[in-house]
Amino acid sequence: MSESSLPVAARPAVAAPPAPSLWNAVARVFDLSLGQMIWSRRTIFMAVVLGAPIVLAIVVRIVDASGVTPLRVNGQRVGGTTIFGVLLWWLYLRFVVPVLGVFYGTALIADEVEDKTITYLFTRPVARRAVLIGKYLAYVVCTSLVVLPSIMIVFFLVVPLRDIGPSFLTLLTDLGLLAFGLAVYGALFALVGTVLKRPLVVGLVFAFGWEQVAMLMPGYLRQFTIVYYLQGLVPHAIPSDGITSLLASVFNDAPSAATCLFWLAFILIAALLIAARAIERREYVLGQ
Amino acid sequence: MTVIAVEHLSKWYGQVSGLNDVTVSVPPGITGLLGPNGAGKSTFMKLITGQLKPSKGSVRVLGEPIWGNPAIYRRIGFCPEQDAFYDRMTGLDWVTALVRLSGVSAADAQGVAGRALEAVDLVDAGGKKIGAYSKGMRQRVKLAQAIALDPELLILDEPLNGMDPIMRRRTIELIRTWARAGRSVLVSSHVLHEIEALTANILMINNGRIVAEGNVHQIRELIDEHPHTVLIRAQESRALARALLADEGVVSIKLETGALVIETARPDAFYTRLTEMAARGETGTIDEVTSLDDNLQAVFKYLVKS
Repeated sequence: MSESSLPVAARPAVAAPPAPSLWNAVARVFDLSLGQMIWSRRTIFMAVVLGAPIVLAIVVRIVDASGVTPLRVNGQRVGGTTIFGVLLWWLYLRFVVPVLGVFYGTALIADEVEDKTITYLFTRPVARRAVLIGKYLAYVVCTSLVVLPSIMIVFFLVVPLRDIGPSFLTLLTDLGLLAFGLAVYGALFALVGTVLKRPLVVGLVFAFGWEQVAMLMPGYLRQFTIVYYLQGLVPHAIPSDGITSLLASVFNDAPSAATCLFWLAFILIAALLIAARAIERREYVLGQ
Repeated sequence: MTVIAVEHLSKWYGQVSGLNDVTVSVPPGITGLLGPNGAGKSTFMKLITGQLKPSKGSVRVLGEPIWGNPAIYRRIGFCPEQDAFYDRMTGLDWVTALVRLSGVSAADAQGVAGRALEAVDLVDAGGKKIGAYSKGMRQRVKLAQAIALDPELLILDEPLNGMDPIMRRRTIELIRTWARAGRSVLVSSHVLHEIEALTANILMINNGRIVAEGNVHQIRELIDEHPHTVLIRAQESRALARALLADEGVVSIKLETGALVIETARPDAFYTRLTEMAARGETGTIDEVTSLDDNLQAVFKYLVKS
């Protein structure tokens, strides 16, 4: 601290800047959080994991190009478009999206509390809900940046060149739906992370316990899952060939796309509103 | 005028009491909050910075309630105790980001952050990642984010912990200059000598209660009866140990890896000598000085009994 710098405190008091508006604060938290999230160990790990389907797609492409007997199921050739659909549904929508939702969504606030950095955010002239929403938006962008390129690469590797043109619009729709899926799961698990002390366990139980079981149960229980509504948005990706027709039949009561969109949007908005309300009221006691 | 007004303030963590029916007014200027580890200082600090909601009673800061009132943080700078950062960010980026959260435009934020880093002598290290900072540098960058916007009230939770002697002295000068410019400061510590160097006005806290308010000099004599334990991290710890052995107040010296643990019966003289040695650089660089002491506890026992 140089002597010349000491008068810092003696400078004429700068008029305190006005507190940023809610959305201005959201944008500032988003700025701060996005860089942290993108370069986090969690994101780097997920990016590596999402390299696996790309490797698989490369293998499929090599097999296809080498003239070796193509993949057949029950004597029927399985085309690249079908393989892409299977990967989209079973790998990305049923596994990757919930995993990202659980691990990032529950950590939005919990990580800041665990790292004890929440203090810096909560002692600024911004509403706590702006912190939550800004971090949530950073999550949506960060996870989309990780997942969507992986899907695009898989698409271009697996789908035959002649089918790319007709399927491209569908691909764009699928990318949008995946981002929407990430947003919905993220909102739900952000709520879990905001109100519960052990959010990760609860998130995992929901995504890989409850959702899996409920989807196999007859009746209305599946309506209390997110995946039930996601399936209605990607019917083309759900396998319908011989070997998986039994499993596909499980989903044959999928609601209309409009109904799915409505309920997913409802879950997203409701979860964020409740989480925003909870974070304003809740105390976060940092460990010593 | 009262800067912080607390009335019948209590805080419970389940069955455990963190603070018990505290009523106190903090006047303008510098006030020291003194208490041993576990006395309730952190709970008090968290309540007056709006991180915790009172279980009972009220807290008003600069005339306004603090819990659920984020607008008040425009007028407050807070330096928390915990050594927690976004380690991958540089010091400059981190302070800039926090300044932006306070409402400063992107165009101005970096300039404001740069001036704050200059005030704590961290300009040269501003471009380095915080993860690579020493403990003392981390303390200073925390201080920088607190003072960046010239707040009316500065709340500092153990700000000198881990700083080397020279930086400790300069930080004390900074805080005193700050107060002379008409600002108010509440600073907590478990080391009497730190508080004494800053102010004569203290609040003493123990077992979740304010046990004394007033002039620091009245308890100084009491505390000096108890040996004081200090941990020093230095690059040439053996040479430093040899030099300190000549100090007549030193009761014992224990060598650890890269560090010394010293017990002194004359802490005032010891700190003065240590600062002089650090300034002369005669025993190499001193990286960190931390008081390990809970010797205040003995004084508090005495005060509570009397």
